[in-house]
Amino acid sequence: MESFDATMSGYFKPRHNWREATGRGVTVAIIDSGIETDHPDIAGKTVESVEARVEGNRVVFDPSTSGDSAGHGTACAGIIGQIAPDARFASIKVLGAGGLGDGQVFLAGLEYAIKQRYKVINLSLGTTKPQFFAPLHDMLDRAYQAGCIVVAAANNLPQPSFPSVFSSSLISVIKSEETDPLKFGFHYGEVIELTAPGVNVRTAWLDKGHRNLTGNSFACPHITGIVARFVEGYPNLTPFQVKSALYAIARENTPE
Amino acid sequence: MSDENMNDLNSTLRRLIQTIDIANVLTEPVTTSIRRLLETSAAALGTDEASVLVREGDSGDLRFLTAIGSVADQLVGMSVPSGKGIAGFVLMSGQPMAVSDAEGDATFYAEVDQATGFTTQSILAVPLRFHDEIVGVLEYVNRTGSPPYAPFTPDEIDRATVYADAIAALVNSYEAAKLVRDLSTKTLGASDESDLAAMRQWLASLRRSSEHTERMELAVLLRELADRGDAERHLCKQLLESMLRYSDEKGEVSYLSY
Repeated sequence: MESFDATMSGYFKPRHNWREATGRGVTVAIIDSGIETDHPDIAGKTVESVEARVEGNRVVFDPSTSGDSAGHGTACAGIIGQIAPDARFASIKVLGAGGLGDGQVFLAGLEYAIKQRYKVINLSLGTTKPQFFAPLHDMLDRAYQAGCIVVAAANNLPQPSFPSVFSSSLISVIKSEETDPLKFGFHYGEVIELTAPGVNVRTAWLDKGHRNLTGNSFACPHITGIVARFVEGYPNLTPFQVKSALYAIARENTPE
Repeated sequence: MSDENMNDLNSTLRRLIQTIDIANVLTEPVTTSIRRLLETSAAALGTDEASVLVREGDSGDLRFLTAIGSVADQLVGMSVPSGKGIAGFVLMSGQPMAVSDAEGDATFYAEVDQATGFTTQSILAVPLRFHDEIVGVLEYVNRTGSPPYAPFTPDEIDRATVYADAIAALVNSYEAAKLVRDLSTKTLGASDESDLAAMRQWLASLRRSSEHTERMELAVLLRELADRGDAERHLCKQLLESMLRYSDEKGEVSYLSY
């Protein structure tokens, strides 16, 4: 914990001034629908772009030339870029591969990001299928042990959605109506701990456009961007330290 | 046209009529219920345009099952390829989302808009969940009145999710009815000498019959078993194939390939 100070209130927070950081030197993996790499908000920031392809019973990743099939990945990159303008992106496209079913392709995308050792991973996908509980749990443990910080969009579901309910090994985020992009909340003890702006968020969209978007999956990249700022100052930050820092800052955002 | 060709045409038409009758009697009541619920929910959410897209197998492709609004007839039957557009993302992510402020950009949902001549400016899309599966996507487009349209609110997203649960249960019933319909169509299609009057009588009584109920239950059981996991699905398939082989040995004809 050398990089952190204990504040007077007893919580850890980064000594590095994260509010002035820009995510320089940090690559964020975005497991999503692809990225429109020549969008003016994003151009020149994508260091790797791959897409899933089903080959027999396995999933392989090829260099991607198909861009963004839905707009969502571009939107996430746009939001992360607003928070951490110097961060770089690795686009891991898992939508549209078909074949084996979405759960397996999405799992393969996560495995790819961990193998590439991307420090920060933005994940807007999830599954409610019980057969993916154990493999996803194992994969998130691998990410945790590898020091990868996984930020996932949560679901407002009556049944658990994986992996956003795995509270120990990743950071799960749900939307708030807050308009300040740096103001997030931390609800310690709840399954989904983080809240971040996710209502009418204006960001990049397909064909060099912009849209106003609402959903938990647009709250998630706000936290991803903030984590990229932390990692700029502390490249070896662990997921545990990130959570401690988010907790400390959220306490400052919303004093008791 | 020769007599032989005329006979072929008559035979084809007869089979077509039989197929349409079966399709209507089994699936029409369910699609009507879905459409009514769609109308109720759209009115509650302040829009006139809504649609239900259902998943087609494991591919992740979506097909418009039913729709209301100005281009509803054009939408029904159209497909959205796997992972494409808002609907494709919502299906794969399970995440409800709203998009607004399209600013007349023709690329928003371009392919569907180009095909229908419609202009999508704002959209609310929520997943249709049944048990552990996402079986499709429920979409609401634009608002009643003239643009610019007010964005869909978080409260409206939550309300749409409640409607989606009810519609998902109906979509599941539709899929079960469709399975029975397809099996019945195969059976009837092979029978050239069917008496059409008797056929209609049978169709009318089908939904009330215990056989139909049993078929529906069988379809639901198969679906549940198939969802239990790879081992269960494999075992179930083997058992069914054994039963079909046994049935064949007794001289009965099967229409499934195995």
